[in-house]
Amino acid sequence: MPLSGFYFPPGSARQTEAVLRLAADEDYLEIRDSGGAILARAPRRRVTATSRLGALRRKVEFPDGALFETADNDGVDALLKGHGGALARLERSWRLAALSLLAIIACATLFILYGVPSSAEWLARETPPSASRLIADQTLKAMDGKLLLPTRLPSARQQQIRDRFAIVARWEGSGHRYDLLLRSAPHIGPNAFALPDGRIVVTDQLALMAEGNADLDGVLAHEMAHVNHAHGLRSVYQASLVPAAIAFITGDASQFAQMTVILPAILLQSAYSRKFEQQADDDAAALMRRHGEDPAALAGFLERMELKTCGKTGCGPSWLGSHPATSARAARLRRAPAQ
Amino acid sequence: MRFEGSAGEYFKIWIVNIALTIVTLGIFSAWAKVRSKRYFYGNTYIGTNAFDYHAAPLRILLGRAIAFGFLLAYSLTAAISPKLIGLWYLLFLAALPWLIKSSLRFAARNTSYRNVRFDFHGSYWGACKAFILWQMLAAITLFSMLPFAHRARDYYHINNSRYGQAAFEAEIPVGKLYKYYGLTLLAILGALAAIVALTGGTMNIFKPADAPVIFARIAAVIFGAVAFWGAPAYLGALTFNLALNNTRLGENVRFESHLSPVRMTWIVFSNIVLTIISLGLLYPWARVRRARYMAECMTVIGPADAGDFQSMPMPAGNAIGEEVASFFDIDFGL
Repeated sequence: MPLSGFYFPPGSARQTEAVLRLAADEDYLEIRDSGGAILARAPRRRVTATSRLGALRRKVEFPDGALFETADNDGVDALLKGHGGALARLERSWRLAALSLLAIIACATLFILYGVPSSAEWLARETPPSASRLIADQTLKAMDGKLLLPTRLPSARQQQIRDRFAIVARWEGSGHRYDLLLRSAPHIGPNAFALPDGRIVVTDQLALMAEGNADLDGVLAHEMAHVNHAHGLRSVYQASLVPAAIAFITGDASQFAQMTVILPAILLQSAYSRKFEQQADDDAAALMRRHGEDPAALAGFLERMELKTCGKTGCGPSWLGSHPATSARAARLRRAPAQ
Repeated sequence: MRFEGSAGEYFKIWIVNIALTIVTLGIFSAWAKVRSKRYFYGNTYIGTNAFDYHAAPLRILLGRAIAFGFLLAYSLTAAISPKLIGLWYLLFLAALPWLIKSSLRFAARNTSYRNVRFDFHGSYWGACKAFILWQMLAAITLFSMLPFAHRARDYYHINNSRYGQAAFEAEIPVGKLYKYYGLTLLAILGALAAIVALTGGTMNIFKPADAPVIFARIAAVIFGAVAFWGAPAYLGALTFNLALNNTRLGENVRFESHLSPVRMTWIVFSNIVLTIISLGLLYPWARVRRARYMAECMTVIGPADAGDFQSMPMPAGNAIGEEVASFFDIDFGL
């Protein structure tokens, strides 16, 4: 069964109508023009064809560089067996496409739920302390002098906070080294955060709002839990794992691909971060209970801070935020079981 | 030119290839990339014939492995002795022209039309001038020379390209480039002014407020997104037209491109939004849509028969440079 198409001489763009057919002895393939004259001839096993892909025209290449081009995909497959038809068959079926989609969704879900958190945890464990120190230094350097100013608390109050810090660190007893940094942060407001190497920053604005010891203890225990679980490093790794995986799988690190993964990556990152906050709250509540303090103090303190920063309406939707909604956190803290 | 691929057909190819990539832990991605490229090249027609892409997946895989190795070495350096990071940047800067040169050559040599391959013979020094020195000069002059730097990049790309034995030649009026950069700058400033007007200059858009203020903020975010994603597409369409309209191939082939910058901005912006909303499922449709529009807007004006083109004997290009470059997301424009 001859296939009709076009013939190109070796190295030339000149095309002429032609047919490709099996020669009389069946071991040779030949290209003939419309008059029947032979244009190219070669043993069948030395002739190659491009693999089938969609409805693309096939190029059948002869050893001397002559080319035969045809839209007759089935014909080429029949003439030249073993030229990558399997993949094209997979790519043609809607049923397989749907199956692939399901498999991809399943893999992505597993990856997001288990793969990313556990590989980030492993990486964080393997990170040398010098690297954590460097990250912490860089973070502080970026904020000091701009967002963070020297503390303006009276030295008696500073000493009081340092004492509480030492006590909570002893309670916590995980063997980590913690350091307290007091900073005035008029632009940030009442806040506290932990750096990966164990330094914990508490703002003057937070210290001024803390009423009893338990308020402060709760916050410090929460931040120490972040350090203890390496939450800082883990979120750094988690943030880079998702885009890296997408770029690796789709093989597309283009701007378009990056832009489309920004939003899902941010949402995912906030979801991971909310998990960390919950874990830190749970640890803090347990620690407080063990030492005769009521986690409700931390709950009330969180609510007062939110009221101060965002007013009565709260601080925006929780599914966007890095922290769970304050009301939910407070309720969970108040429910925290006694030891 | 016209694009004859269909979104449905490409969707099946794309999704099956992604599944295979996952199953093979990423190894198949090189084959997937080649199939995807072949699909787009093979469906882009000039007259009766389409382009073809010939890259060998194994070479791409090797290039990726090398790029990945470099990234690993870089990360290790960052973790162990951060002071040596500067050395990596120097090395990268020194390698950049080579990466650009070899990736353009790889792309050209693996592209053919009607049995004749393209070729690229730009030099290391040429890439160094076009992509580093001109950019530095543009930065020193507070970006007032940016259009010249743009032209240098286009010249390096186009004037070093060949189709068979015929050479491409571009002669781009820099005044037009100044006009286009100016227009884009105005569009960005306009969008910024609109954002400031809508938000009243406040930075915290999540701060609670009344409904009208919320709507104004949503509008501001949309404006910002259009400006951020759209500006490169807007400028890209204008400069692409300019470059192509001033390019000749050999003695008597010319090109015409009339991409509408507004339409191109719309396509890029809505493609991104729809891809995000559909969780990536509309990505194949978005790519096909863009390819179709771009092909529709381009015309080749030349001899009735392209049969006079003859190829030159040449070895295949080197995939390592291309893959290292695309791994680090270096974009060459045009």
